[in-house]
Amino acid sequence: MRNSFLKTFTSLVGTYFLFQSIILADEIPIGPNGKPNLNGVWQVMNRANFNLEAHSASAAMQLVEGPVVPLPHPDILALGSVGSVPAGLSVVVGDTIPYKKNALKKRNQNREDWLNRDPEIKCYLPGVPRATYMPYAFQIFHSEEAVFFAYEYAGATRNIYLDYPGEPPVDSWMGQSWGYWEGNTFVIEAKGFNNQTWLDRSGNYHTENLKVTERYTLLNDHVMDYEALIEDEEIFTRPWKIKMNLYKKVGDDAQLQQFKCVEFVEELIYGEWRAK
Amino acid sequence: MGNGVQNSFLIFITFITATTVFSGEYSVKKTWFGDPDLQGVWTNASLTTLERPDHFKTLEITDEAAEYAKKASEEMTENLDNPYGQGETPESGGDVGGYNVAWMDPGNDFIRLNGKYRSSIITYPENGKLPRRLTRWAIEGPSIYRMFTRADHPEERSLGERCIVGFGSSGGPPMLNVLYNNHYQIVQSPGYVMIMVEMNHDARIVRLNSEHNPNEMRPWLGDSIGWWEGETLVVKTKNHHPQQKFRAAIRHQILMMEGAEVTERFTRTSENEILYEFEVDDKKAYRDVWKGEMPLRATDEKIYEYACHEGNYAMANILAGARAEENQ
Repeated sequence: MRNSFLKTFTSLVGTYFLFQSIILADEIPIGPNGKPNLNGVWQVMNRANFNLEAHSASAAMQLVEGPVVPLPHPDILALGSVGSVPAGLSVVVGDTIPYKKNALKKRNQNREDWLNRDPEIKCYLPGVPRATYMPYAFQIFHSEEAVFFAYEYAGATRNIYLDYPGEPPVDSWMGQSWGYWEGNTFVIEAKGFNNQTWLDRSGNYHTENLKVTERYTLLNDHVMDYEALIEDEEIFTRPWKIKMNLYKKVGDDAQLQQFKCVEFVEELIYGEWRAK
Repeated sequence: MGNGVQNSFLIFITFITATTVFSGEYSVKKTWFGDPDLQGVWTNASLTTLERPDHFKTLEITDEAAEYAKKASEEMTENLDNPYGQGETPESGGDVGGYNVAWMDPGNDFIRLNGKYRSSIITYPENGKLPRRLTRWAIEGPSIYRMFTRADHPEERSLGERCIVGFGSSGGPPMLNVLYNNHYQIVQSPGYVMIMVEMNHDARIVRLNSEHNPNEMRPWLGDSIGWWEGETLVVKTKNHHPQQKFRAAIRHQILMMEGAEVTERFTRTSENEILYEFEVDDKKAYRDVWKGEMPLRATDEKIYEYACHEGNYAMANILAGARAEENQ
């Protein structure tokens, strides 16, 4: 009888603490103006930068015909497994990107000529939404009067206007961003892009008519839900959406490092004009 | 609360308010987490240069002297815009020039602190000049010479031309004014002060109450840690990137050798101004420390994207032009 009581008591206490820890884990930290606190160093843990759509692992981003199966392009060959591509699930809601017929043809041409065409290879600014899911971290600085994104890749930055800034006065690589809160979700409307950035390494692209509406929703202190609605009626049959998790770095990892890659591509871009 | 207590409280509040108003002291607004608020978009564009021109003998100069120098600067700007006179064009094959003033933001006034115009940013040494260690500058001379005269390799050219960081010491530290793109945006979050330098869209992230990273890590703009001393943000930076050793702009040329340390102090003195002070301790390049100060002024101007590398046709043309010249 006494043992049974103890067991029940212990079980109830255990359940209580487990329940409490789940509640605590789901608590959303409060930041400036009573809104969820977005501050921190964030990064995805997915393969979206390789390809937004579902893909198997493959030997390289750019392949050439082989005697039996496709082989890595000769310019990637020396990298061996380092130049290969890991598998990834689709982050596109509905699985595939709704390209118009001719636009899909261009996407496929981009893919076949990846080495020459992907702006990431030349360390160009990544644009939006690609900056979010590159395999590099970014830090959000969130205060009462400003929200600012600093990206590790290429030292890209993005000031989020909190008052409507009007139409973008000029096209740019990172576009113009206007942010506001809808309940506990921080919404950013970004437009004013040029047509030079891509959406991933697989040739998915956009035109200068791109508009991206991002939604950042904290799920708890360490995980944020990220959605981006992509509109570009010139090449897509309808608006479409990507969705993924962002993870917050903690402890010693929570420090944004620097990856200013411009100097690393000087030989690639300017090498042919060096003095012999 | 009784009436007596209420009255005492009101008297106390009135006294505090009156003291603040009559003393003229600016009370710095605090961020949501309690740090003094330095946030906003700031500019250090100014006609005052790092070193004191020889025609000025003192740090502080009269209003008349500043006005005279401003007029000279305006004339120079006019000449830059119209080198052949108003409406005139160069003859075929003539020099068409480079940037006109539409591209520039050199400032239109001298630094003014404590009601007086300044002839230099440098406040110490008192002569307003860099205390250069000439032997070191002589050693570095050939690579500096190559930077401006040779086009054999992209890495020889200046960091501004390479689109890696801004010209001179625009990004700092110390953050010095250059001919254009002199804006900085400061945003604070718990444990951090982020200074975005317009040229070259560099976010310098100051970690508060932290330690320096290992010496093996030498990032662009150095490794900055900071702390608050009262309402002043103190930032210490070391481990400067080795390629940022020589920083050249039209308005200043400085060396920053391995082991150099820069201490900066940011104090908000009004809604519209931050007093920016710095001290450079670099025993390899200088005989003594050197110090400077200038205001960072609030501005309503928006900072647009400084995308440099993405359109750097100039670097390819500089190199290709040199190769073509060799083949003639």
